[in-house]
Amino acid sequence: MMYPEPTNIWESIEYSSLGISIAESTWAFPTLETLHVIGLVTVLGTIFVMDLRLIGKASTNSSVTRMTKDTLPWTWAAFVLAAITGTLLFISKASSYMINPYFLVKMSLMAIAGLNMLYFHFVTYKNVAVWDNASVMPAGAKFAGYTSLFFWIVIVFCGRAIGFTLGIYY
Amino acid sequence: MGDLLYNITDWMRGTFLLDWAFWMQETGFSLFMVENFWNVPIAQAIHILSIAAAFGATLMLVLRINGRAGAGLSMEQVSARFVPWIRWGLLVIIISGMTMIFAEPVRNMINAVFWIKMIVLVLMVLVSLKYVGSVRAKALNSGAAWQASGSAKSTGWFIIILWCLIMVCGRWIAYVPV
Repeated sequence: MMYPEPTNIWESIEYSSLGISIAESTWAFPTLETLHVIGLVTVLGTIFVMDLRLIGKASTNSSVTRMTKDTLPWTWAAFVLAAITGTLLFISKASSYMINPYFLVKMSLMAIAGLNMLYFHFVTYKNVAVWDNASVMPAGAKFAGYTSLFFWIVIVFCGRAIGFTLGIYY
Repeated sequence: MGDLLYNITDWMRGTFLLDWAFWMQETGFSLFMVENFWNVPIAQAIHILSIAAAFGATLMLVLRINGRAGAGLSMEQVSARFVPWIRWGLLVIIISGMTMIFAEPVRNMINAVFWIKMIVLVLMVLVSLKYVGSVRAKALNSGAAWQASGSAKSTGWFIIILWCLIMVCGRWIAYVPV
């Protein structure tokens, strides 16, 4: 099959041999989506457990450091899976994604959620020893927990919205 | 595999399932689901979020049983924290899933992968109920020194695999030839 000459970087990605093989395959896109779903529910599920501890609504019989050790390796491993599969999905239709507002909002919110996490780990977490076992969390930890819950819920909505609106913008 | 699934789906077309699907399609609720563009994506987002909550809770419980999380907490404490999230999560999964079935009754009811998903879902719920009950009872009897048996540890991972299989089917409902 012949593809048009790329006119921008996103089309070059889409019409790369990798992009074309994913787009032309009958099983690649759904298989990547399936792995993406398994990865993202693991990311979300473990983040929810951590966030509920941070806002002091659940697991108050566990220290915050204990919860971090229990959940974070799973969050990261699953995030790597979701990011790799997500990138491959993106490559197969790069120019359609780059013009979709829900995709752009989703990527921005993930960047903000990432910054929120970095701020929590490198600033708020520094004196965790003081509130590690507390059931009433300091404002910084609560803020990190509530904003993380909010961002991830909106990210899921945007993710589903992309599937329904891909191709209607051009 | 595709041929086999298609043959099962084709056979379903001749059964009462088709009448059920047509009946569902005529209900006011089905119309409500399809007349607003955002109803289905919102139902799917709620479905995904509740899967995350219930699956994450299941994972934490299985990790505790395997000695890989929740150190210092008893099985009762870990169950009290996570079992309600699995139960309520499953309830929201089922309700949001039903709204999605009503939105597209024929695509779901006349679909081999949908019914495989339902069978694995029922299996997963039954295995989980029996499993959590028996592990809790053993942990209570053995007191603080309790350690899960090898089979209890692997049954936990088997339940995680069943969850993943349900998610695989969930995604492929949309792609299987019907």
